[in-house]
Amino acid sequence: MQPRVLRLTLTFILAFTLTAWTSAERLTLVTDAQPDTLDPHVTSATSAFQHTKSFYDTLVEVGRDGSIQPLLATDWSVSDDGLTWRFELTEASFHDGTTFDASDVVATIQRLQADATGSPKASEYAVIEAVVAVGERTVEMQLAAPAPALLATLASGWSAILPSEKIASDHDFANEPVGTGAFTLERWTRDSDMRLAANPAYFLGAPNIEGVTVRYVGDSALQLQALRTGEAHVATAIATADLPVVEADGNLRLVREPSGLALVASLNTRRPYLDDPRVRRALNLAVDEQTVLNVAYGGGTPIGTFMEAGSPWTPADVMPFGQDLNEARALLDEAGVPDDWTLDMALPQPYESHITAGQVVQDMLGDVGIDVNVRVVEWGVWLSEVYGGPRDFDVTVIGHTGKLDPTGRLDGYGQPSENYVGFGDSDVAEWLAEGRSNADPEVRQAVYGDVLRRMHAAPPFVYFGTPDRTYAVRAEVDGFWMTPLLDSFDFREVSLN
Amino acid sequence: MTRWLRTAGSFGLTFVLVMTVTFIALEALPGDAASLRAGFDGGSGRDAAVREALNLDRPWPERYVAWWSGLLQGDLGVSLREDRPVASIVLERLPVTAALAGLAFVFSTTAGVLLGAWAAFRAGSGIDRGVRAFTAVGLAMPEFWFGFLLLLLFAVEFAWLPLFGLPPGGGVWATLQHLLLPAVTLAVPRAARQARVVRALVLESRREAWLRTAVSKGAGTGRLRRQAVLAALPGALPLLALDLGGLLTGTIVVEQVFGLPGLGALLIGGISARDVPVVQGVTLLAVGVFLVVNLMSDLLQQALDPRLRDA
Repeated sequence: MQPRVLRLTLTFILAFTLTAWTSAERLTLVTDAQPDTLDPHVTSATSAFQHTKSFYDTLVEVGRDGSIQPLLATDWSVSDDGLTWRFELTEASFHDGTTFDASDVVATIQRLQADATGSPKASEYAVIEAVVAVGERTVEMQLAAPAPALLATLASGWSAILPSEKIASDHDFANEPVGTGAFTLERWTRDSDMRLAANPAYFLGAPNIEGVTVRYVGDSALQLQALRTGEAHVATAIATADLPVVEADGNLRLVREPSGLALVASLNTRRPYLDDPRVRRALNLAVDEQTVLNVAYGGGTPIGTFMEAGSPWTPADVMPFGQDLNEARALLDEAGVPDDWTLDMALPQPYESHITAGQVVQDMLGDVGIDVNVRVVEWGVWLSEVYGGPRDFDVTVIGHTGKLDPTGRLDGYGQPSENYVGFGDSDVAEWLAEGRSNADPEVRQAVYGDVLRRMHAAPPFVYFGTPDRTYAVRAEVDGFWMTPLLDSFDFREVSLN
Repeated sequence: MTRWLRTAGSFGLTFVLVMTVTFIALEALPGDAASLRAGFDGGSGRDAAVREALNLDRPWPERYVAWWSGLLQGDLGVSLREDRPVASIVLERLPVTAALAGLAFVFSTTAGVLLGAWAAFRAGSGIDRGVRAFTAVGLAMPEFWFGFLLLLLFAVEFAWLPLFGLPPGGGVWATLQHLLLPAVTLAVPRAARQARVVRALVLESRREAWLRTAVSKGAGTGRLRRQAVLAALPGALPLLALDLGGLLTGTIVVEQVFGLPGLGALLIGGISARDVPVVQGVTLLAVGVFLVVNLMSDLLQQALDPRLRDA
């Protein structure tokens, strides 16, 4: 009996030792965040737009250099008063076979504006008074006031163009996306994977690959293993400790690019002592932002105000705070902060790096005599109790995603009730209103400079910086890239050698 | 007849109790599906609109009653996260878990019965000690740890088997490759438990009078062993049923480790999304399977072992 069992076992093991299931013509990407929905008009989640980019197109898009490029609109012009925008449209067709034309643009903008849609970005379209199909391939937008940020809005994922017929029939875009995009949805299994199939009729030419599989794997070690064994071609989360492993592996390529994130420890300025700008400056001076970036986020560039590093909107005279413990202690004394002051720090559960950063900050604040109670809360609780609802926190750590125009990041910081940190006054509100409606680039540069200077002088955040966007790609992959600032996956030019 | 009614009654009560506790536990957790769906826009009051659209602004007893009245009409409700009927979501995930649990059950039962019987026939020998060591280790190993160990060894170190996931429409062969390690992970502790019980049962049956009679009548060793195992099996049925019924919950951890898109993954995803109807749907299925399997084992045991019928 013994030899037979052994033989059987061996045969069984051998039978399964064939190579793992892979398909040469599909790209597999592993990432940690899945979309909440595939309806681009009802979400503001970066993870959603990372995926919708493949199913839908926008009128204009962000190119590799960060500039705005034509997509469904081949050309556009603005009237002298800045109130009429005219777009010429390309020839394209939707996944359901219907032809893309001006009526789809009209229906899309109207859907975004409609209360019933509930778009979180509706306010960005409020300035549009009318959208008119001038011809089959020409569309005009009439604005109530000049809107210099409109092009940035139209280039962002939430302005994806949907087919008018499907809009009229109240189609379930959340589960069954229909757009003009380079890929169609094959299957989406929540928490597991999403399969995309190439759209042979894509108006810019069919993709080189048959399809894409996106797998949701939270664990970065598992992502790396999948990449090394060839089960995945792209891994988006590389742990700091694993960077040397990737760099040493000849089959892998490490990509480091600036991201659009602003990483911060947010301070609830409604709370005692935190309502004093001197205390908030002291906290900034107590923290060594470079160390936080290195330890928690795999490196990055420090920032001194609420804008990603390298942004042209940050005034040249606004610098990162750096660390100065003596100055920090002096400011705390001046503000009369008691010795037993204890801060309540709420950290969001699924985000390991934010939790690590919070613990580093806790340690650093201890050096200037501030006690910090750390509690880790689940994401749902963070959203409803910290970021929203009662805003029950003194300090939390989070990253604010990149936006193409400063309105996207800064609007809402003019009124204390409109943002979670309780920042804002009439000056800031006035500057923001000016920036929203003045088309003169110099005026905008000046007013946003004022806002960002104020957010440095009376900081509602302890600024960390902008991390590098670090991801790893197998050597056989060509043409994969992520949109600057928006971080969307672009599979359109991918080929596998 | 009264026995039947009592059994059905206790099963019904268990079912209602489990569903109620699940519902209340989910309600008691902080955060809700609306705030998660509204995400960063919740702060601007969008969560209230979502909450209204999902009927989450209604008090929980009202939603609880609505869930039962839906269920009585055969409606499991609509997912709060996916806006799709819960029944179709559960049906999509069911094949993965069913295949995994089925494979694990075949592995564990085969290994458990064979090892148990083998150890019993060689009681006191090196083989017996080996099997007993295996049962001790098998029972002590936590599934997530053992699963990771298998992954590291066979998917990373040797790279013989795929690391995670399940290719949709990948054919029987690819599916088996992906399910092998998770099924083994699930099977080992169960096989250990079964081996232990089968060993004890076979040892016991060897001491029984009918076997001694058979020996005195000159029956061959092979036949005696077969008879002893067959006589012991009905005694192992309750444990087998417990294992089969419990496999559905056992897959929760293992599906997480191996990234399999089954019911376990759906349950975990549902809980973190506060998707009450989905969690209720999966729980309903798990409890239903558990109760039905145990009921069937009860009946089967009575059918196989005449001695139990008078009880």
